[in-house]
Amino acid sequence: MAMITYAEAFIDGIHSVLSTDPLLSLIGRDILGGGVATREIERKLLRDFPDRIIDPPTSEQAIAGLGIGAAMAGVPMFIHFGTGSFSLEAFNQLVNEAGVARYMTNGQLKVPATFHMFHGVRGGGAAQHSLSPQSMYANAAGLEVVLPSTPHDVKGLIRTALRNANPTIFINHTRILDVVGEVPADDYDIPFGRGDVKRRGRDVTVVAFSRMVHRALEAAAVLAKEGIEVEVVDPRTAVPLDEESICASVEKTGRLVTVEESIQSCSVGSEIASMVAEKAFRSLKAPIVRLARKPVPVPYSPPLEDFITPLTADIVAAVKKAVA
Amino acid sequence: MRNDLSADQQRTLFARMLLMRRFDEAVLDMEDDHGSFGRSVASIGNEGPIAALSLLTRPTDLLCSTHRNHGHVTAMGADPMRSFAEILGRADGLTGGKAGTLHLCAPDKGFLSTSAMVGGANALAVGAAFAQQRKKAGGIAVSLLGDGTLDEGITYECLNLASLLSLPVLFLCENNAKAGERPSSMLAAKALLDVPRALSLPTLSVDGADAEAIYLALVDIVDRVRKGTPYFVECRLERWPGMRNHASRAQLRHTDISLGWDRAAIGGPHAAWLTDSDPVLKLAERLVERRVMTADALLALDRETMARLRDDRARAEASPFPAPGAALEHVFG
Repeated sequence: MAMITYAEAFIDGIHSVLSTDPLLSLIGRDILGGGVATREIERKLLRDFPDRIIDPPTSEQAIAGLGIGAAMAGVPMFIHFGTGSFSLEAFNQLVNEAGVARYMTNGQLKVPATFHMFHGVRGGGAAQHSLSPQSMYANAAGLEVVLPSTPHDVKGLIRTALRNANPTIFINHTRILDVVGEVPADDYDIPFGRGDVKRRGRDVTVVAFSRMVHRALEAAAVLAKEGIEVEVVDPRTAVPLDEESICASVEKTGRLVTVEESIQSCSVGSEIASMVAEKAFRSLKAPIVRLARKPVPVPYSPPLEDFITPLTADIVAAVKKAVA
Repeated sequence: MRNDLSADQQRTLFARMLLMRRFDEAVLDMEDDHGSFGRSVASIGNEGPIAALSLLTRPTDLLCSTHRNHGHVTAMGADPMRSFAEILGRADGLTGGKAGTLHLCAPDKGFLSTSAMVGGANALAVGAAFAQQRKKAGGIAVSLLGDGTLDEGITYECLNLASLLSLPVLFLCENNAKAGERPSSMLAAKALLDVPRALSLPTLSVDGADAEAIYLALVDIVDRVRKGTPYFVECRLERWPGMRNHASRAQLRHTDISLGWDRAAIGGPHAAWLTDSDPVLKLAERLVERRVMTADALLALDRETMARLRDDRARAEASPFPAPGAALEHVFG
């Protein structure tokens, strides 16, 4: 066990699969976002596997297509897009090629490719560098969607993504790259569709992914002082979704708050709310509360950014609404 | 460099093109009879490039086809019964009725997913070539693109990537753009090949109706691609007039292969296409002239081909539809 950062755990996970799969190849530069500190962490990959990492031109469509074709031809691929906003350049490839190839060939061809991007408000990213596209991908059949929140989880989840035979959209967040946590040194996989209860509580279920898990935990600490015990459920993967864990928690608490960084309309949180209303309705003691970014493109100026994004205080308020 | 094909190669080339031709004619007949729900795109007239390539590929080579795929999979050895069945949406189809006529795909013959996204096959082929490069076993990838893909941005990215990474990919372009009627591409370049040339790809233009000329050009090119030089070959084609409208289709519906050696008998509104642009007739003429095959032998081969396809079609029509639950299979694994 070691205390390492999310960034280090992510790179360790990739490194461990590069070590055992001689064909796995990476395309992209600055896969940790390009900061000075993260470049140092990433250097480990370049040092040990210089011929397995290609620095591409700014050609998202062709890079995605190359990744899909290579994966189909038996070479597992990791493709880095930069921010989720840029991944939309390759949306056609992801939805209409990666997501459908196994189905259209009736299982004869597979796409063992992982598509990596950063989502969410990074601070000053403005409208074209701050998208949270998870529900766009979750609403396209044939794509797995993964959003880790902790160093422990990201290592196990990236290993699963790189080693499984499905096209996986792997979404990180630049603001949690320096989160520190306990990570086993050995190689382990976390299966998709298995959520994790990050904090047990009896009063309200808060479902969150990615950076919002950390804000939810901060809100839980604040609320605990007022005698409200929050259970934070981190599904870790939006597709496949661990419906059972979410419903089991709501059956215990009777109250649900969803919190996320995309806007509300047709979001993953909205899907979770609908699913719970459908499958755990009789357990609900209060209306479901959904919290998301305000439905505007993301503004640049910090106070505006804060205004449109769920902050810890907003989560506290949402939980109080659920117990009112 | 070889400057002619052996008698066996000529016969194989012709047999493959004839199979492709009669297959697509049978598909059009079948769709008339069944009330087509898939809207097939015929490969008629485009037989030359893939037939020539099929003499040069290895089992480990990878091909990427488009919505105009029937000739491609047929030439590479897909079972016509399973192609018919796929077009009809039956369980015995090449892909179990899941993909249909615009996506015929034979992975066991080297095909990656058949994409109907214009330019999609170029990207998959670049990926396949990347994989071949990683595997270091001398395999190549071929994109069986049409000129229409030069209208899409992804194609420029793919040509650039192939050139930058020295990928073993052959872009084998069937160029049947035609000004006058609605062209299949609208390019501001003086010549289509100006585009790959601008990205430092070696190029060649050949008569797409002359399967032998294509083969002779490809012998050296495929070898160079295997060694890591991406190449762009333009096969100039005249679009089959039967694509235009029902009247033309009716006039050209069933090829009379004797017009190959009985040129005087060519008449009608599409005489020019039959004389200059039909690759099947062109090769038939040469086979008879050179006495590689007699006219009688050609006609016998034709009857045999059509009989076999009639049988294939019947077996496809007897194949059941997939069970409804099959719609849920093969999303993830």
